Amino acid sequence: MPRRRTLDPLTELLAAVLLVVLVLVVNRWEFSLGVLALVVLPAVLLSGKPRQIGVALAVVAGPLLISSLLLHGLFFPEGVSVLATLGPARVTWEGLTFATMMGLRMAVFTGVLLTAAMTLDIPQLLAAMTHRGWDRKLVFVIGSALGLIPHVALRAGQITRAQQSRGLVVGRSPLSRLRALLAVTTPLVIGLLTDASERTSMLEARGFSSSGARTSYLTDTDTTGQRATRWVMTGVVLVFSVVWLVVT
Amino acid sequence: MMRLECHAYAYDDGGAPALADLTCEVRAGEYVVVAGASGSGKTTLARLLAGRTGGDAGAVFRGTLTLADEMLLFSGNPDDPRIDPAAWSAVVAYVAQGAVGQLSMMSATVAEEIAFGPSNRGVPTGELVRLVGEVAGALGLRDLLHRDPRRLSGGQLQRTVIAAAMMQRSRFLVLDEPFQGLDDTAAADVAAALDALRAGGTGVVVCEPMLPRSAPDGARVLGLEGGRVVHEGPLAEALTAGLGRFGIGTAGGSPRLVAGTEAVGGGRPGPGGSRGSVQVPGVTAAGSRELVSVRDVRCRYRSASKRPTSGRSTSRRDSSKRAFSRRNPDCRAASRRGDASSADDHGADTMGDGLRGVDLSVVAGEIVAVTGANGSGKSTLLQLLNGLLRADSGSVTVDGTLITRQATGALARHVGFLFQDTDQQLFERTVLREVSYGPRITGAGKAEALQRASDALERVGLGEFGGSHPYELGFVQRRLVALASIMAVGAPVWVLDEPTAGLDAATRDLLAGLLLQHAAGSGAVVLATHDAAFARSVASWTVRLVGGRLEQIDAG
Repeated sequence: MPRRRTLDPLTELLAAVLLVVLVLVVNRWEFSLGVLALVVLPAVLLSGKPRQIGVALAVVAGPLLISSLLLHGLFFPEGVSVLATLGPARVTWEGLTFATMMGLRMAVFTGVLLTAAMTLDIPQLLAAMTHRGWDRKLVFVIGSALGLIPHVALRAGQITRAQQSRGLVVGRSPLSRLRALLAVTTPLVIGLLTDASERTSMLEARGFSSSGARTSYLTDTDTTGQRATRWVMTGVVLVFSVVWLVVT
Repeated sequence: MMRLECHAYAYDDGGAPALADLTCEVRAGEYVVVAGASGSGKTTLARLLAGRTGGDAGAVFRGTLTLADEMLLFSGNPDDPRIDPAAWSAVVAYVAQGAVGQLSMMSATVAEEIAFGPSNRGVPTGELVRLVGEVAGALGLRDLLHRDPRRLSGGQLQRTVIAAAMMQRSRFLVLDEPFQGLDDTAAADVAAALDALRAGGTGVVVCEPMLPRSAPDGARVLGLEGGRVVHEGPLAEALTAGLGRFGIGTAGGSPRLVAGTEAVGGGRPGPGGSRGSVQVPGVTAAGSRELVSVRDVRCRYRSASKRPTSGRSTSRRDSSKRAFSRRNPDCRAASRRGDASSADDHGADTMGDGLRGVDLSVVAGEIVAVTGANGSGKSTLLQLLNGLLRADSGSVTVDGTLITRQATGALARHVGFLFQDTDQQLFERTVLREVSYGPRITGAGKAEALQRASDALERVGLGEFGGSHPYELGFVQRRLVALASIMAVGAPVWVLDEPTAGLDAATRDLLAGLLLQHAAGSGAVVLATHDAAFARSVASWTVRLVGGRLEQIDAG
């Protein structure tokens, strides 16, 4: 079940970034494991889309973890306790420990950032930026960059449908799919450029270049409490990081 | 008062002036209908009134534009005044043709899209919510406020764009063919909303390819032909002034059929005649080949997740927003059947009734018109006929081929499809390449494909435009290019989604003739339309989609 958003997107984003900072600063596997088990895992499970996030995690973090394991597990110069020798490669206890630690941290990074990114309510984020008085052009650039992928997909789908209606057969083979992709590229790019030029004048006609602050249809989800929390969180993490780095 | 005096306006293509010796004045509370056939200059006029002089695109405008006692003089030189689009649009709102291109792409919902203009001008959130509610109520959009504007049906999208323009509360509102693709109810809603604006003091300019049958009291008509005013006066006078000689027909009139083609549409038994009824498919008149057979087809849409229209929102990540998403167990896009098309569907996300047991049988020589309100599932039914969508249950057979798991492309030899949004259909660099794409990819040699394309272009009267880019042509011509691209393939079944929307009288006549010729050549046509007069003239019989089922209206 999709969760109901209770926090301002900026609060969520900041919390994710600060968590990554903490994991970087506190270079301990226990801490990384704790964050993974107590924060990332529940967040993914409660996100309403655990499968999609799981797949994205596997795609992004999987290759990193495997390469880390191969690199450090087999070729760790400082390794002393040799567990096995495979030609030029030596599997060492120290190498495996290092690879596990690195892998854990990477899993936390990607888990935190992907969960935050994939559960972010983009329109609400844009509304939050607008309510905070960010420059409207910057907000538009961010919004259109984030909205471009679904828009391009929609447009590509329309072109493919038109081509199929006129006889293009797209089979299951990779070659057939590649041909279909090539067939859609040129009209897609030309169409997007035409759209862009039309959209510029449309934006102007709807007062986008007006001066003064822009407003948003969506109510501001930010609160004084959250604003204070953001400052406090940032301050605490900063102070803690400095103290931790000095002490350890 | 807004006043345009145009001595000459020419695009940079070296052609004849698009407008010449023309004066157009609009006063507060006035309703002006600019009527003209394709190429008469009405879009150019609308754009000028909207402050788009085209100087940055190489166009040359000589004349004056007066707005609120300020007169701007243009002499076609680089040092002509430059119009501030933000300031101008605060006074003159403009709704161009082609609703998709007018979306901001910044808005995830219809409500945000409608609010986009005023939010740019700093109207507070609470006021935005109130205004959106008012405008949406006037245009019958309340139930759509939570929907993704990119996934609306054509008519719904058109109303959204008009609502967005009305929200600007400008003193003048210029609309280029605002009634295109609207059903009768939606058109009446838009007309009433425009009249209310006019009564409130807004000067309204509406460009139309044909004269409307009715308009608000005191409406004035400006008839255009070849960029010049050929008639000016009250609507009642214009309706009897014989403007047909300038290519300006009257909406709702029957198309003029070329001698020799009329007989094709009549004389055959309708579904209520010897062929039984639409609910009893497959019973064909003796000797007629059944080209389309739809039996007990059902398609259900998942209901859209309700998103609050403002304030704290539920997550928009709810997958049920997409009618044909991968997880949707109901009516499926062809992509799930091994065909790599998108699950996005122009008509699919309209969240109407779906189809609840539709039967339809069309034999060679017949033209069947499908009517129904915006979002009633007309586009869905049509897309089942060429495999773009697959039914949940029931069977669809076209030209003797039962549509099961074949790719959509493999059906193109049997059925040609005209999309509701023409621009969705055109994708090639030149008109000739566009039209020859179908024959080429369905197996014709290059020379033959080009020949068939040239022939099709000649038949639609665009023989000389083979080398042009489709986007260089006007809307009506692009529509004809799309039609020619179907004709060139030579499929026996034509499936046309709103083919008359936005056409001028001459093109509508041409289309009627082409459909009748196709039927006379043992082809069959299924068309979705809001144009009742056109359906009456060309269709063998007409059905209406209501509540997901077909009802017979009349035999032609």
